[in-house]
Amino acid sequence: MKKPNQRGPVSSASLGALAARAAEALKQQRFKEAVELFKPMIRQDPRPEWKQSLAEAYRGRARALAAKKMFKEAAMVVENTLGSDGTLADPVFYLHCLIRDGQHQKAAAHVRQYVGTESTLPAEERAILEDLAAALLVAVPLGPDPARAPSAEQARWLELAAASREALAAWVAGASAQEVERQLNRISLRSAFRPVRVLLKCLITMPQDADRSRQLLEAIPPESPFFAFREAVAAAVLAERALDADRWHRLTPVQQAFVAQTRNLPGTAVQFLARSAEAARSGPSALFGFLFKQPDLPQAEVRSACLNLLPQMPDRLSQFEKHFGPLPDFERHRIQALAAEGRGDWAKAERFWRAAVAATSVDDGDDRQAKLSRGVILRHLAQLAAKHPEIEGDGDGFLDDPVISYLERSCQADPDYVAGVLELIGHYRADSRLKDWHRLVDEAVQRFPDNSALLLQATESAMARKAYKKAAGFAHRLLKIDPINSGVRRQMIELQVAHARKQMRAGRLELAAKELAAAAEWERPDVPSALLRIAQALVELRAGQGAQAQARLRAGVALAGSGVAGWFRAALEGELMKLTGSSAGLLRQELARERETPPTKEAVMAIVSALGQSDTGENKRAVASLLLGMRAWLLQAAVIDWLPAEFQALAEILARFDAFDVLAEYARTARRREPGNPIWRFHEIVARTRGNTTRLTMRETEELGRMVDAAVNREDFRAANRIERFLSGGDDAPLRRRRSAAALLDTLDDDDVPELFAAMLEGMPKGATDSVRGLVREFGRDGAVAHMVEQARATPGGPGMPDPVLRELCQAVVAMAMDGSQPRQAPTARRSGCDA
Amino acid sequence: MRDPFTVLGVDEAADDAEIRRRYLALVRDFPPDRAPERFREYRAAYEALSDERKRLEMTLLGTNTIALSRLCTAALLAASPGSSRASKQAVAALLAEGIMRTVTDKRPPG
Repeated sequence: MKKPNQRGPVSSASLGALAARAAEALKQQRFKEAVELFKPMIRQDPRPEWKQSLAEAYRGRARALAAKKMFKEAAMVVENTLGSDGTLADPVFYLHCLIRDGQHQKAAAHVRQYVGTESTLPAEERAILEDLAAALLVAVPLGPDPARAPSAEQARWLELAAASREALAAWVAGASAQEVERQLNRISLRSAFRPVRVLLKCLITMPQDADRSRQLLEAIPPESPFFAFREAVAAAVLAERALDADRWHRLTPVQQAFVAQTRNLPGTAVQFLARSAEAARSGPSALFGFLFKQPDLPQAEVRSACLNLLPQMPDRLSQFEKHFGPLPDFERHRIQALAAEGRGDWAKAERFWRAAVAATSVDDGDDRQAKLSRGVILRHLAQLAAKHPEIEGDGDGFLDDPVISYLERSCQADPDYVAGVLELIGHYRADSRLKDWHRLVDEAVQRFPDNSALLLQATESAMARKAYKKAAGFAHRLLKIDPINSGVRRQMIELQVAHARKQMRAGRLELAAKELAAAAEWERPDVPSALLRIAQALVELRAGQGAQAQARLRAGVALAGSGVAGWFRAALEGELMKLTGSSAGLLRQELARERETPPTKEAVMAIVSALGQSDTGENKRAVASLLLGMRAWLLQAAVIDWLPAEFQALAEILARFDAFDVLAEYARTARRREPGNPIWRFHEIVARTRGNTTRLTMRETEELGRMVDAAVNREDFRAANRIERFLSGGDDAPLRRRRSAAALLDTLDDDDVPELFAAMLEGMPKGATDSVRGLVREFGRDGAVAHMVEQARATPGGPGMPDPVLRELCQAVVAMAMDGSQPRQAPTARRSGCDA
Repeated sequence: MRDPFTVLGVDEAADDAEIRRRYLALVRDFPPDRAPERFREYRAAYEALSDERKRLEMTLLGTNTIALSRLCTAALLAASPGSSRASKQAVAALLAEGIMRTVTDKRPPG
């Protein structure tokens, strides 16, 4: 900025303009410009408000400089605010600048004029200033200010500072405890110099009264300038045992020097500690080199310390072995595996970890520690496989899930680890490997009969197999261990109600009532079940027990949330029991009456929850018809601001019962409300295609592929999985497994693909060729390809294959069958398929 | 975070009882109300080592500096608390560090 002309007087008109510019510059925090503008104005007309603004501009400028760590310059700028009384505009900030710049002498001289005087500073700032003043006056010897006579209070401050310095000097010089004590008595406990008295008291009384010393030291708070001193004194006097490395390394070098001197640490030890810390700071290589050159240290410890450094520098392995002797294979592989992980070379890490596992089998046989080690490493491999597609696993087929195969091996190595077994069970369930799930649960529950998590799994497994008695047995065992387990109680009630429904549908009222009476045994009196109340009421209604049934029904509806939610639950139960006649009429009437109230988020979600029961899927037509009656009411709820998670639950239910028009309206409304969120568009596509991927247009397929990529990029794997699952026609295979196959295909060059296909097709039996020709005759060439893609998707390997790859393979099969030609190559499709 | 063996100052071969003993001793010296950050660190380290398999995970899947720490502790054994006095320079440096720390508000961990 150009400096304003300072030579001649400024006219009043231009002075006004200058004042406006200066005020604007100050407002805009252009402090340097503001200073330059205010200075000539004040020279001409020293108005108090301009002086105040100039001081403000100086303060702002100083803070800007301090923010850039230009403390010396910042202090100089603050000095411009020096008033006629010798005080500055911002004394605490000025003090900070001086200290940060290392000008302790000047800082002490600055605080000397503030202590013991009446001050307009706020109490908090004053306290900070006084604490700092005390520390500065102890650290820097300072006499009275020759320019002005000190007040009585200032003189007292200087006297206390001198007493503190003298007490410290006496302790340093080795004076007796009595002599130091005598000096300390000169320091008032109510003054800002109290910490000096406390610190020295601890130093002269140690180590006799550690508790008293600890109490005394705690009086010095962390924000005190004496806190660093307090930490050093604590390390010097309070460690009952010898000072350990951890406490030592928590000290700063300055504190370490103090402690080393106070504890009379030999010079060699101090040197070792300093050099080892320096080597550690310089990196593993320097530390390794330093430790190697310490023949006087215990070599077993040196070996162990060096061994722990090797994963960071595996190139030193041979040097290590030359010095300390060869390492077992297991250790060598472990070091290489950790080193590969450090580089992010996951394939190599997997190879070395597997070699380490093999080495434990050879080296240690059936040793327990070896078994545990194998279990730990294999679990680690499973965790790595879940994160990194480069980890391929050691399953037979390339589409085997490496996470599962490593977990299986881990459980074999360490079968007593319940958490590992539960993790594997979780993966079997997520991967729909039902036989494996049931087998493992059966085995595990025998091995760990009192584990509540496994008993819960066993109950669920038995229920999934419709083995009610077995499930009940497990549930009883679980409730003996964990009587409050509400999850298992709820499941058992649901299971028994499901049995009652079957009996009702078959017209066996007595048996249904018996099932419900058995279900009631699972209920806790303080947690009544809405489902059970409603089911009992409906059975009673059907049996003609009118008044009692109605009362129970209303109680159940109330428990289910009343209103539409409660009556929908009752109506749904009625549909599932195939209730007809007046009982069904009553439910329909009540529900219709309640539907007159507008929908709420809670009511809709309660309906979603009711529709999520397993029995609803088996009675889809009845439920769909009930839902059709709810259509108008549900459409009103489209305007609700749904969270994506709520919307997802809702969308799944609507799609399950073919309410695609309702889903379309919900998705459209949500998209209007939040156009940037791709999940709404996804649901719009699902609704338009009625959940059938064969109805997808090419554009929609590409759009969904981009959505998957974007979801993966923002690490929203749940959304990516959901879209992928839809694209693959509802397959539940996890994304990482499919990506693993895709990643494998991606490693092939474009030129390799035709060769790979040709090799696969060479073994195609003649019968297959005839079938393909038949398909082409029936559907045409493209139709046959589409048909085969659909069929291939249903094969075990199909879900792992990206769609374009499947299509390419089928095109190749058709080409081979029809004219024996090589497939047409479509490298871009393969690439995009792998990306998707 | 530093490795849990070094934080607690226990050997890789230490058993459950020894680890618990050491943890309780540290918590006694640095209870949560007086040293919350240190307590959190000790607690996390104790939890990481409180079970045999977790300990093995720490040993096999990571690296630690406990051997180096033991070497340093051995060097520190030569000291005796309060047997000597610090120099004038050491005291002055400590006061200066405290003053500087107050204005920079940067404290060492723990």
